[in-house]
Amino acid sequence: MATMPASASDLLKSFKLKTKQQELLIRVSILCLVYILAFITRLFSVLRYESMIHEFDPYFNYRTTLYLTENGFYDFWNWFDYESWYPLGRIVGGTLYPGLMVTAVLIYRILRFLRFAVHIREVCVLTAPFFASNTTLVAYFFGKEIWDSGAGLVAAILIAVCPGYISRSVAGSYDNEGVAIFALLFTFYVFVKAVNTGSLAWSLASAFGYFYMVSAWGGYVFIINLIPLYVLVLLITGRYSMRLYVAYNCMYILGMLLAMQIRFVGFQHVQSGEHMAAMGVFFLMQVFYFLDWVKHMLSDTKLFQAFLRITVTSAVAVGGIALGLGMVSGYISPWTGRFYSLLDPTYAKDHIPIIASVSEHQPTAWSSFMFDFHILLFLFPAGLYFCFKRLSDATIFIVMYGLTSMYFAGVMVRLILVATPAVCLISAIAVSATVKNLTVLLRSKNKVVQTGSTKGSGGSKSSSKALLDQSQPFQKNGAIALLFGAFYLLSRYATHCTWVTSEAYSSPSIVLAARGAHGNRVIFDDYREAYFWLRQNTPQDAKVMSWWDYGYQITAMGNRTVIVDNNTWNNTHIATVGRAMSSYEDEAIEIIRSLDVDYVLVVFGGVTGYSSDDINKFLWMVRIGGGVFPVIKEPDYLVNGEYRVDKGAAPKMLNCLIYDRARGVEIGNKDVKLEHLEEAFTTSNWIVRIYRVKPPNNRW
Amino acid sequence: MAISYILLFILSFISISRFLVISKAGAESELVADLLTLQSQSESGVIHLNDRTVSKFITSTKTPRPYSLLIFFDAIPLHDKSDLRLPVLVHDFALVASSFIANHNGSNTKLFFCDLEFRESQSSFKLFDVNSLPNIYLVGPDAESLKDDTDQMEQSGFTRLTESLVEFIESRTQLTVGPIHHSPIISKKQMVLIIGFLLIWSPFAARKIFAGETMFHNPRIWLSGAIFVYFFSVSGAMHIIIRKMPMFLMDREDPNKLIFFYQGTGVQLGLEGFMVGFLYTIVGLLLAVVTHVLVYVKDLKTKRIGMLFSVFVSFWAVKQVIFLDNWKTRYAIHGFWPSRWN
Repeated sequence: MATMPASASDLLKSFKLKTKQQELLIRVSILCLVYILAFITRLFSVLRYESMIHEFDPYFNYRTTLYLTENGFYDFWNWFDYESWYPLGRIVGGTLYPGLMVTAVLIYRILRFLRFAVHIREVCVLTAPFFASNTTLVAYFFGKEIWDSGAGLVAAILIAVCPGYISRSVAGSYDNEGVAIFALLFTFYVFVKAVNTGSLAWSLASAFGYFYMVSAWGGYVFIINLIPLYVLVLLITGRYSMRLYVAYNCMYILGMLLAMQIRFVGFQHVQSGEHMAAMGVFFLMQVFYFLDWVKHMLSDTKLFQAFLRITVTSAVAVGGIALGLGMVSGYISPWTGRFYSLLDPTYAKDHIPIIASVSEHQPTAWSSFMFDFHILLFLFPAGLYFCFKRLSDATIFIVMYGLTSMYFAGVMVRLILVATPAVCLISAIAVSATVKNLTVLLRSKNKVVQTGSTKGSGGSKSSSKALLDQSQPFQKNGAIALLFGAFYLLSRYATHCTWVTSEAYSSPSIVLAARGAHGNRVIFDDYREAYFWLRQNTPQDAKVMSWWDYGYQITAMGNRTVIVDNNTWNNTHIATVGRAMSSYEDEAIEIIRSLDVDYVLVVFGGVTGYSSDDINKFLWMVRIGGGVFPVIKEPDYLVNGEYRVDKGAAPKMLNCLIYDRARGVEIGNKDVKLEHLEEAFTTSNWIVRIYRVKPPNNRW
Repeated sequence: MAISYILLFILSFISISRFLVISKAGAESELVADLLTLQSQSESGVIHLNDRTVSKFITSTKTPRPYSLLIFFDAIPLHDKSDLRLPVLVHDFALVASSFIANHNGSNTKLFFCDLEFRESQSSFKLFDVNSLPNIYLVGPDAESLKDDTDQMEQSGFTRLTESLVEFIESRTQLTVGPIHHSPIISKKQMVLIIGFLLIWSPFAARKIFAGETMFHNPRIWLSGAIFVYFFSVSGAMHIIIRKMPMFLMDREDPNKLIFFYQGTGVQLGLEGFMVGFLYTIVGLLLAVVTHVLVYVKDLKTKRIGMLFSVFVSFWAVKQVIFLDNWKTRYAIHGFWPSRWN
């Protein structure tokens, strides 16, 4: 009886950890908790609806993943898809970023190998949350690299729940961005690590990280422009070193060679204007380091000055001539529209309606920042200041990443996603540094009390601190109060994030939910109803025409051929559909017949009050149609410059095809008689309506 | 004899009538020559008309005239009204005019581009019965009454003036306009100059960079630039530029009141964005000042006052932003305390 407690205490003693070990244990367990938190906070949509794919693009990704699992990689690589863009078809293997699909299939294979009987759909649904969890780990290491492990932990916690990232990575949002943000942050982290250490191994890792990013998302262009910019800034500010040289050259050359293996990207690294900055910096770097070496070798400064003048002039001239020749001969393609619209933001609005029409491409208003970043937004400038106070190669990188991505986030709403990791990291620096200062203050106070007598003499530097300690009786209380304040604010951040995830970002948008009159949830499952109707009741080779938003869903769920879909590669084809939708029925039927359309699918929000229906998208149909066919003129559909759909609508508007289809029953024009189309199917809540194109009358 | 008299009479008649015809043709060619000189005097090829010249070229000439006139109605006092976009239209009109003249090598005498200004030619505006701007009229060769016989361009054409103007001209006059010559942003001469300047400048810059004595080596400049970029982005300045949002709106019901804040997600006004951007920035900067500047202040009182000041300002700024956001988006963003406590 007496020995038991003794042996127990011995046992406890042997388990007793040193302070360092305790710290490690706490750190690891916090990281584990954050890892799990990042995963489960993204499961709202699965719990509330069911395990399904969301939105539009993910349906295409899902369809291709399914194809990949069934037919293997080589078939997937050479796949020509007849079911979309009728009658053109689409070369799928060469026009997509395969990283996401290959990743999902790899996870699927591994799970199968471990004898977990999962369906590929579940893997697809949970890919994005899984990668979000991995991103938190990368954020931890990144934070550790640029500041300290405390900042890393805070960054991991912040990014785990940050709404700006959650918006693109909830369960079911099976899209490129889900894995791409992980790849982006990983590449950056490894590159910074390479610059800090100058090790070839880390540079090699960053090249592979870059390769993964290229295979996953078109946003890799951001990396290939940010890193050269960073290198350039380091060169200009005189922070160049051999470490930088090793890191950049290895990453650029290997990353470029690897990226060429992705068919969709191909030789763009040496051909397209968007990638020329990286190449220019690469050559500049060679010249720069060569000059540095010559300077080192030459002792005579005058000789070096002359040499410098000649070399730089000729290098700039040769570079300029090469670029000019490349541009003129067409070998180097000019910048694409999307890239232009980032640099000159007014470009898209005037020149490319198809980019401007997507709601994600709208410029950001201040309220969206508040919604997606909450308290981080206030901490960001403080973090910037902290970084500038402790300048190093790593903090310069994170500052540049933060600022460029912030600028892009201001141009397009959806690029808030790219800015999120940087904002989390920089804010984490602010939080961590402040909290650390406060706690250090608390501790040192205790020490001061203990060793109060010995203190007294000190240098001028510590005298201010001593003064502070001596004469502030409320200092400890103040620090405690501020600490509580900080934690309280962070807890509000957590509340806000959870609430945003639950309210705004977890709806699959294919199943609609609304609050009924008694506050209960009403679920509208009309889209899937319509797609399954198509699948069951129409001939195998039926062609369905709809606005491009629904193209992917129709092919994936309805298994029918569509005219246009969300891969908006052919503007003319989309404009043809836009024209058909916005013309009178008689004119429309000719276009419809010429495209061999059997069914027309439209989305109608009149009965349920669903706002993003086809009439809402109609102005864009007119604009995109008008961009190719001058017959369509936007003002014909407007009344006094306003867009109305009720009785006061413009006459051309009331008579065009889509109006007949989409809102005919509600207002404005009630008795619609269609000559060439007949109603085939209307879903239970009247959201989706499908019309059959009547065969032409017999010719007598 | 009688025959010879008759012959003489006929001859004289013919010569007189021929003289008359010639004089009419001479008057017409004179008018065309006048128009051509006026056209060559103007830089863009748009002839500036006034009441006198309108009567000279249009009302007092007999139909059919040998030319058509395309008239743009302008009013300089209205140039600052942004919704009319008059300066843009004037520019587009001049662009079409100069392209038309260039495509016809200056040998065109069928169509002339003109403009009329409201303040100096009010009676001509009355003649055309023009009450609203912008307006473009085509005066054909046979037009007698300026009110009824002239062709007015549809209002819908003004959204994309160059294209619809070309269409309008080609459909009404059967003349071809040809390609529009947009002037490049940087002319070739400027390009050569810029390249030359860069070539000369680069060695000097390189030397300075090597020596490490440019302003880029000063972190303060970088810091202020960074804060500015942050402010620029979060205040939605891009939104204002892209959507061409005004700084504030006039209240429609009460013209003396100004609207600074717009209710509704996805849309914002200029000053609204800058105010909120300022609130966003001030909190972080105060935190930085407190942790990095205030601690070095010797005087205890100043330190305390500074501390309390920044705490209260930060509290107020966050509260204000959350209040504004809730009001604007009608979402209940989570602020300092649960929303049911408000």
